[in-house]
Formats: sequence, C-alpha cells, structure tokens
Amino acid sequence: MTQDPLQDAPDQPDTKPGQAARFAAFESPFLHAPEGARGVFLVTFAAGCGPLAAGLLLFGWRAGLVAAVSIASCALIERLYYYVTKTPALLGRSHAYLVGLLLALTLPAYVPFYVPVVGAAFAIIVGKGVFGGVGHFIWQPALVGRLAVAVLFSTQLTTPAPNHPGSGPILAQGRLLVGDIRSAGYQDRFKTWRDSQASPGADALLVRRPEVTLKYVTNRRDPEFSGLTIRNPGTLDSGTLAMLKLPPINEMIYGARPGGIGETCIIVIVVSGLYLVYRNYVRLQLPLVFIAAAACVAAIAPVCLSGPHGTSVARWFPSVIKAEGSDAWLMYVAYQLLTGEIFLAAFLLAAETTSRPVTVGGQVIFAACGGALAMLGKLYIDTPIPAYMAVLAVNTMTVVIDDFWRPRVFGQKHFAMLMGWRKEKEP
Amino acid sequence: MLFDRYGSFVGGIDLPDEKHATISRAIEPYRPVDLVRVPLSPCGDRAAETVVEPGERVLAGQRIAVSSGSRSVDIFASVSGKVISMTTAQLAVADAFETMPAIEIAPDGKSGPAPAEQLGLDWRAASAVELRRRIKDGGLTTCRRPVEALSGWIDRARSKCCRTLIANAMEGQPFVTASHRLLVDCAEEVISGLAILGRAMEAKALAIAVDRRRTDDYSSIVQQADAHNIAPVALPHKYPTGADAMLVKVLTRRERPPGGSVMDVGVAVVDPATCSAVYRCVVGQTMPTGRVVTVSGPRSSRTGNFFVPFGVNCLELVGQDTQPVVQNGPMVGIRCSPEAVVGPATDSVLALEASVPVPASPCIRCSWCTDHCPARLNVAALNDAFELSDLRRARKLVATACVECGVCSYVCPARLPLSERVRQLKRAVTSIKQAMPLYEGN
Repeated sequence: MTQDPLQDAPDQPDTKPGQAARFAAFESPFLHAPEGARGVFLVTFAAGCGPLAAGLLLFGWRAGLVAAVSIASCALIERLYYYVTKTPALLGRSHAYLVGLLLALTLPAYVPFYVPVVGAAFAIIVGKGVFGGVGHFIWQPALVGRLAVAVLFSTQLTTPAPNHPGSGPILAQGRLLVGDIRSAGYQDRFKTWRDSQASPGADALLVRRPEVTLKYVTNRRDPEFSGLTIRNPGTLDSGTLAMLKLPPINEMIYGARPGGIGETCIIVIVVSGLYLVYRNYVRLQLPLVFIAAAACVAAIAPVCLSGPHGTSVARWFPSVIKAEGSDAWLMYVAYQLLTGEIFLAAFLLAAETTSRPVTVGGQVIFAACGGALAMLGKLYIDTPIPAYMAVLAVNTMTVVIDDFWRPRVFGQKHFAMLMGWRKEKEP
Repeated sequence: MLFDRYGSFVGGIDLPDEKHATISRAIEPYRPVDLVRVPLSPCGDRAAETVVEPGERVLAGQRIAVSSGSRSVDIFASVSGKVISMTTAQLAVADAFETMPAIEIAPDGKSGPAPAEQLGLDWRAASAVELRRRIKDGGLTTCRRPVEALSGWIDRARSKCCRTLIANAMEGQPFVTASHRLLVDCAEEVISGLAILGRAMEAKALAIAVDRRRTDDYSSIVQQADAHNIAPVALPHKYPTGADAMLVKVLTRRERPPGGSVMDVGVAVVDPATCSAVYRCVVGQTMPTGRVVTVSGPRSSRTGNFFVPFGVNCLELVGQDTQPVVQNGPMVGIRCSPEAVVGPATDSVLALEASVPVPASPCIRCSWCTDHCPARLNVAALNDAFELSDLRRARKLVATACVECGVCSYVCPARLPLSERVRQLKRAVTSIKQAMPLYEGN
C-alpha cells in the first residue's frame, strides 16, 4: 500500500516541448548534484512512513486503511484538479502522495473513511491547487486539510464514543496490529497501558486522553479535581494529583496513548525527523527550537491551582514549584511536550520546505513563534489541534520573516540589514 | 608539512574530484597541429595591427601583430609556418565567446626558436620599472577570464595599493589539472614567475595557495618558495575555496565588497599559468605562444595535459564535434562554439557527458542554494526577484556579492539555472547603476 504510490509516472505529458531547448540555453555548471525535487518528496514520504508504521502497530489495520484512502484520494483529486484546470502538474504525483501521508498521520485511526477524502480535497484544492501547485502555496497543505476536517467533523474526530468526551481508543496488548480500533471498551480505572486488559469482546481500550487530563491544570473545570485543595500552599496541589493520574512517561514516548495515527509514537517521530536532518532536508535548528520554545512556554506560563476555601491561584513558572519530594513539575513540562501533536508538528509538518522561511535565522524565528503558539494554544485554548493551528499561523508569517531577516551578505558591512531598514524608513 | 593552515568560510560544497584521468600525466607538447588561428585581440579590446602578410613564413614566437591601444597586447606566432590568410576566430574573453580577427597559420612542423629580441635579464637585479616594461613588451595577459593585459593589470593593482600577491593554484573544479601539473612539472617557473610579478608590482607579501590533498606532490615548492620569501599555504578542497574572493577571505580575512574586485581590499590574485608565462618571458625570452591545457572528459578522444599553441581549435583538441564541449571547467565554464580556439584563458577543454535536459520545476524553497552559497546570498529570494524582474529587490539582496561559483545551480533539486539567473541579475544591477545614476533603487 505504501509501495504502490511511490511509482511515479515516468512520462510527463504536461511539460511543454520547447522547455528542454530553452533549458539548454542556460549553462554552467555542467555537472549537477543527483538529488531532484521528486527525490526530496519521496525521501520525506519514506520518513513519514516511520510514524505510519508505528501507527499501524498501535492503532491496527484501520490506520493503514485511513492512510491508503488519504493518499489515494490526494493523488486522484490532484489529477482531477489538474485535468479540470488544465494546469501542468510539474512534479508528477509525488507531492500529492506526501500530502496524503502527512494528512493521514494527523488523523485518528477510528474516523469514518469520508473524513480523509474530504480532508484530501481541502488539502489539494484549497491548500495547494489555488496557489498554483508545488512551490507556491502558503500553508502546509496537509494541515489545511486537517483544519478543515477538524472544523467540519469535530464530533467524529474528537472521540469515537460520544458518551465519554475527552477519551480515545488505543489497542490493548495482544491485539496490536490485528485489532479493530473501533471496538473499544471504556476503561474506568485506567492507570497504565501495560497493566490494562481489554474488556471482553473488545480489541481496544477507551481511555482518557492525557492532554485532556493536563488541561485541568491550566483550565480547571473538572469536578473530579475540584475537591482537591492545597493544604500547605505550594507543596501539594491539584496539578500534582492530576499528574499522578497520567500514565507513566515511557508510555508517552513509545506512543501507547490515544491520538492521531502518527502523533503518538515520539521515538519514531524523532528518528524519522533526524533522518531528514541527516539527509539535509531539514535544518536541525527548526525542530529543536520549536520544541525548546514550547518547553519554555510550558515552564513559564501560569497554571491555575486550587487554593484553600475553593479559591483558585494562578502560579507562574510551574516548572519550579516544589512538589512533595518529587520533581513532578519538571515532569509536567515533559508531559506537556510529549502529549498532543507537538513533536509531529515540529519534525515533519513545520519542517515542510515550501511553507517555512529559507534562511537559518528566519527558520529559528519561525520555529520559536510556532512552538510558543503551539504550547499557548495547548494550555489555554480549547481546540483539538493547537500545534497544527500554530504551524498554520506561523506559515502565514513566513513571507514576512523571509523579508525581514536578511543575513549579512559576503562583503557587506556588519548590521547592514538594520542600517538598510532605517534608510528605507526615511522619506 | 610545512604548508601553513588557515580557516574556512560558510557554505561551499565537496565536489566529486574526477581528476584521476589527467592528474599524473606530465605536461607534453601538443602534436600534430594542423592549422592555428591566432586571435588578435585576446583581451577583447581593439585588435592588434598585423605586421605580416599572407604567404609570409613566420617562426614560433615571432611578433606578428603589434598592440593598437593601451589595453591590447602584442601578438606572437604560436607555431612556425606559413601565414595563410586573415580570418576570424572565437575566443572567450569575459562571459561569452567573441568573434575577433585572427591570423591563420599553417605549421610546417619546424620548431626553430625565434631569434631573441632582447637579451636576458637578471630579474633579481632589475628594477620594478624595468620588469614592468619587459612584461609589457612580452605581450603578456592574465591567464583566466576576464582576460586583460598583464601590464594593465599590474598598473591597476598598483593604483589600488595592492601589497599582497597570491598565486591561486586551488583548482577546485572537477577534471581540471593544468595548474597542478604546472606546479609539479615547472615548479621553478611558477615560483620564480610569482616572485618576478611580486617585484614588478612592488608587493610586500607573496603567497601561493594549493590544495591540501596534493601537498605530497609539491614538496619541491616549499624550499623554492622559502628562497623567494613566498608563503606556501595549503587549504582544504571545499569548493569554491579557489574563487578569488573566498581565497582572499580565508587568507587575509578581508571581504571583497559587493560588486568590487579583490583588488579593492588590497590583494591581487594571479594563477600559476600567468606566473609561468612571466618567468618564460622575462628570464627565458620565450614569448607567450601557448599555454597548458587539460584535455579530458568522458567523451574526449585524447586525455592529458598539453602545452597547446594559441589558436588551436577547441573541438579539434578533444576530437569531438558533439556538444557539450566545455572550456574552463565544468562549474564556471562555457560551452565551446565550433569556431572556438585556445586562448590565454583556456585552462581546460572537456568533452562532458551530454546530460538529459530536465525541465526546471518551480522552486520548492528547500534552501539548499542559500545554505551552500559561499557569499551567503539568499539565492531563493534572488530567484524570486529574477522571476518578478524586480531589480530593486535584487539590489537590496546584494546580488552583486555573487562570486559566480555555480554551487547554487549544482545543488538545486528543482534544476533551476540559479547561478545563471543570479549572474544576470548581478550584471543588470551593475549596468543599471552605471546607466541610471539617478535611479531611485540605487
């Protein structure tokens, strides 16, 4: 299923006959590095297959079906779009496959099959086609599709069981890869994935999402936690208790938690992302700064603790609040990073070439803004996809960043950028 | 190793070496020569005035045309033989081939040396003025594009107070080995030529920069360089360390201003072929009749490093009629036209594999061009400026800082002719500055 789409059509019927001759007029260098744009997309596709494989294992065969539907519909819709609008599809279908794969990675495995189809339509037509195709779009097309389905099908996407809001399924042990993610039983006393068994007749555990649990720390609305109060302010608090209800951190890292197909398995995402860094397709600064900015915001931004007598206290710098004999608050930052979709957004989605700035400094600004926005959205905004929305927001800023950040050119005076800027401001 | 070590610069790339075919081949004379067409204006200025008639017999090294202006040079017969006719030839002077008058000579196979016009000179005792006069009389030119009269070049260097002279033997491009062989086979000529040139332009510091991978072959240079107070420097082979601007930056930490030349920061850079020609002219009284050319490439019928007389047809040299036949190396070279002849700047003629033309696709902003640009240009943004014909933006992005190394085109996965586009923007920005001094973009 992942092999077939890699076969690009060898003939390019859309290229004009005069193009080859025109190219021959431009000369020097007469040698060329072997890598082409199609190769870039296909290697990125291969890197995206890592999280997909992890999702296949954790969420069962249905994850593969969702990915296949997404990739196939992206390719078909792109073909159709180019057929209708008569614009040339210059890079074959490889970019459409990549968009389809990235879209599938952000979707949960239990969604009905029309969701990836609609997402693909938005990704290809709105995200890519109307801008003129590869190399011209502003927003990462896969995230445009993801945002569209998040708005259109919010109920189908957030949970498969409407009577348990804030919960999601994960395959039980022994049912990995072969289980059906849609037959899930709610786990009332879920503690860790390793110690849980599926209810009889079900393949999957329906458990509370860790990011939903974490939300109560900053956005205290859950009756489950309202009874907890701080006896000695600053030592034990509802936040710590909420942390105690979270699964262990190693389960966060290998991905045994509900979420999108490619979102959960952090370790595979990091390996795939580092492979792209190794191939020089992504600058390491971008994902690192993205995650570091998110971590800083999580470490600084205030959390809402319940104080004595039913009051609530906002505390800045949650990472330095002392808990009773534990480093639970540093763990809080780690949980904020590892839950949700920040790693996938940093390593695979924000690093997409066309929609990020070109210069290294611009990429650092881009990633810092993106990571900070992602974490702020995760903490304070009630949205299922805060990191994706943050990436889309900073994609919008790319043109501005590229224009603003001009590194010193060889032979130019130092700080010529600022001087030039001042000069431009003069009438 | 006695070679000094220095720093590096941002960007650049490791190119495939591809020099194995010719790197160990000693310089040999080029034979047989069928017909030569000696170009009369190798510097691209007004053609020199001929002093021979068709039918006359000339000897190699005999003056056949005298310079007609300050920027043109005397021309010498490159082979002995009979002058057939006045014709035209094409020679790459700066960016492109120019058609210029030429003298066609049919060689008679004799290699009798022309009578020495002047007595030899003890260059260590001679004054700088005397040396400069000898260089001017010898009709010497700089041996790379853009070609200019060496005397004019020295005057320019002196007027800009260049106190440092660097011989650039980096030769980073694949296939090309002419400078390397000159250093190995004619080490004394190159080193002494550099010393003479340094004396002629009254330089205080002399250096010769070589590729660090080849230092084992250059062991004889170090002693001779010490004798002439020349600093031998071995630099890593990262391309384009051999570009003048990068070499000067690495060795002196001075950055060439955008749009200027390295002489603006008080450094003059020559190539070993010029040094060798200076030595032959000043000490050996051999007038410039040819130069060392690397003939190589996968489709070439002849490989090696040859001393080729000026005026030999380039396509004949490689024995190939089908393109691409490239001179000056695969990275910054130009395609030889059928009429192209060997001139002072032809350091290599390569018959390369014809690449399948790949249509350029839109820029995907992968940022490889920007990451690898040694001038730290934002090439992707310059490409946008080119596509929008936005010269003002190109100027703001300092297109004139381009060192024309070709790395951006080399790495571009979309196969865009970035190097050519930036080069054109650079030319356009420069010419607009000159032609429209009141243009608001200036």
